[in-house]
Amino acid sequence: MGGVLTEILSLKNISKEYPGVKALDNVSISFEKGEVHALVGENGAGKSTFIKTISGAIRPTSGTIEYEGKTYSYLQPAQAIDMGIAVVYQELIQFEAMSVADNIYMGVKEESGLVLNDKERQRKAAGVLAEFDCHISPADLIRNLSIANRQIVELAKAMVKKAKVIIMDEPTAAITVSEQEKLFEVVHKLKASGVTVIYISHRLDELFRICDRVSILRDGQYVTTKDIQDTSKQELINFMVGRELSSTYPDKKPAAAEVVLSVKNLTGNGVRDINFELHKGEILGFAGLVGAGRTELMHLIFGAAPRESGQILFKGQEKKLSSPKDGMAAGVALIPEDRKFQGCFIDKPIYWNISISTIDHLTKNGMVDRKAEMELAEDYRKRLKIKTPFLTQLTSGLSGGNQQKVVISKALASLPDILIFDEPTRGIDIGARHEIYLLMNELAEQGKSILMVSSDMEELLGMSERIIVLHEGAQAGELSKDEFTQEKVLALASGL
Amino acid sequence: MEKANKKSFGEIFADLSLPILLIAMVIFFSFMSKSFLTSINITNILVQNVHVAVCSAAVMIIMISGGCDLSIGYQMSVAAVLVTKMMSVYNVPVVIAVICGIALCSLLGTFNGYMALKLKSNTMIVTLGTMAIFQGISYLISESKTYHNLPRAFMYIGQWRMFGWLPLNVIIMIVLLVIVGFVMGKTSAGRKVYAAGDNPEAARLAGLNVGKIKVLSFTVAGVLVGISAILLASRAGSADSGTGVGIEFTGITACVLSGVALKGGEGTLWKVIVAVFVLGVLANGMQLINLGTYPQYIAKGVIMLVSLYLTNRNAQGI
Repeated sequence: MGGVLTEILSLKNISKEYPGVKALDNVSISFEKGEVHALVGENGAGKSTFIKTISGAIRPTSGTIEYEGKTYSYLQPAQAIDMGIAVVYQELIQFEAMSVADNIYMGVKEESGLVLNDKERQRKAAGVLAEFDCHISPADLIRNLSIANRQIVELAKAMVKKAKVIIMDEPTAAITVSEQEKLFEVVHKLKASGVTVIYISHRLDELFRICDRVSILRDGQYVTTKDIQDTSKQELINFMVGRELSSTYPDKKPAAAEVVLSVKNLTGNGVRDINFELHKGEILGFAGLVGAGRTELMHLIFGAAPRESGQILFKGQEKKLSSPKDGMAAGVALIPEDRKFQGCFIDKPIYWNISISTIDHLTKNGMVDRKAEMELAEDYRKRLKIKTPFLTQLTSGLSGGNQQKVVISKALASLPDILIFDEPTRGIDIGARHEIYLLMNELAEQGKSILMVSSDMEELLGMSERIIVLHEGAQAGELSKDEFTQEKVLALASGL
Repeated sequence: MEKANKKSFGEIFADLSLPILLIAMVIFFSFMSKSFLTSINITNILVQNVHVAVCSAAVMIIMISGGCDLSIGYQMSVAAVLVTKMMSVYNVPVVIAVICGIALCSLLGTFNGYMALKLKSNTMIVTLGTMAIFQGISYLISESKTYHNLPRAFMYIGQWRMFGWLPLNVIIMIVLLVIVGFVMGKTSAGRKVYAAGDNPEAARLAGLNVGKIKVLSFTVAGVLVGISAILLASRAGSADSGTGVGIEFTGITACVLSGVALKGGEGTLWKVIVAVFVLGVLANGMQLINLGTYPQYIAKGVIMLVSLYLTNRNAQGI
């Protein structure tokens, strides 16, 4: 394979820096005409930054993009589309109330002039879909289609626009096995017609069925490119992980034997049959791929989602949780994964955020006791070292790390026994991360128990005392500290 | 990158822009018309806007909770015809009729909030539906008649003047507004309404019962709307099914002018009330300087756009 004549797209020495973070560091990958080229890496490895560079959604800090022999320092989104680069995003962006044909031809100039001819449009769309050999009626509304068919519609749209490079971002994340087959067939047909497909997936198995080559990214850096027949799943996992744990994780006293939470056969909210125990002072990690059901499980334990069956016992007592309020009454507090939309009230002051979940206890003579409220906030500002000159400052003006500390303060204000940290350091820079880790250890040593969901493998292994791995809503395994390796976690999480 | 706490000049100006606009309009109309800045006219403006101010407070509560109520006008209409018919046709004592009117409106408000919750729909669309229902109920009660001959005690609510000059309904308005301002600004209940409107998901995960908060916001607003209906009917001395209709738009206008966020979670009562009187003074002043009806429309629109520019230029667009 290879050769200058067949190369269509080549990224050379691409770097993308954000303040404090190098999302891509000197990455060079080239793509051949008519190949299916997989891009793999852990969460945060830089895959999405890489595809955004190709689609023109971001401008790289340095490096060049060569496309059909021409060199660009960056692409504009419209330019990328005109050049024949199409992206099928994981979260499909479609006109749900419009027909398949309308979606396929949206934004495409048609010959018929000003008046849209529905029949003609549908006939043409049927022709394109027939090439894919699939049974989608062009008159169907998008919202009535399955996710897989909706992706095929996006591919058909890319064909109509004469795309030469199609990027597919986690196409199989939300579809069933039989639908997957249909999608793979379409990918094969695209390939046969000379289209280059850049395929991003967490599911390593399927790469061996449809890809020609695979490139691995790790921590924003390019690792290697392999012909698929020359590699194995295990080797890919090793490439993806490929680093030693750094010792930035503080030591922690081991947990006590006392069980504070036990979950038995818990089912609901997309997870099934979960069993585990949490000990006093323990940090229990939850690993899994995106969509494995970790956050959903945490919501069940917090009462933010209804369970279908199973038991949740707090210190041996079963509690029915029908709302987060019940969860808080049972002694659970949640630090949600999405800080801006679930964790805090970004347009409100710091003190306001810290006091909101305990506001009923901060009243005197029917009024909010402003003094007690400010004292509470001041207390947490000192304890968590929230860097701000004023507690009346809007939360939106804080850095990510300090915002997270505000969210943690709010959770701690309800005096919980069990804290759920869902992605505790997402979007937080290294220095603040370390502070959060120290804080988590301190809390655990004070006798609070912690459930931690994290997609950052290093953090998960560094902080947890045990790890429970979820795979597609079910418990894939449990690892104790002496069994921890990234390979083992990733293997369980991938369902191997 | 921490922002300083001090408000910039621009923010202070945005805060004060409505009062400045109000003062500017008062000065302008005082020059244009001799009869504008007289105690009779000022009292008039106050008295005429009492029910508007109370209704706008109701609209504000609903908007802060993240909702919108288009049925307020017909809620008022239902309450007004019910109360006046009870008194004039069935000779029900004033106190009982008034209590019934207020209770009915709180029920109608609760119904709005509850339907929005159960139908999981946007409150604007739900109240578009209930507006039609309330309209029908109002005409069924009123039989398209106007009810006069109201008891003197009832008329006192809207027309009696303490010490011969201080209108009772203005006192009632001030008391109500102080209570609303206190509840929204100083109590945990008010705090929760802001939280539920600002970010419902974060509020839910903070352990607040967002559904209940939103429904109760509608209930409280209903009480205010009921009182507002009584204030209007008692001042006018009569009521029919047209009483109060359309007031929701004045209320929403006042709220939006004063910077109450359409997405919820933000709003300040005193600014809403100033906005009510900006609209009130404008209408009154234009009458006094004999501006024709059509130029009045244009002037009103221009003033609205100007005040939107002044209040919202530091805020994010909608």
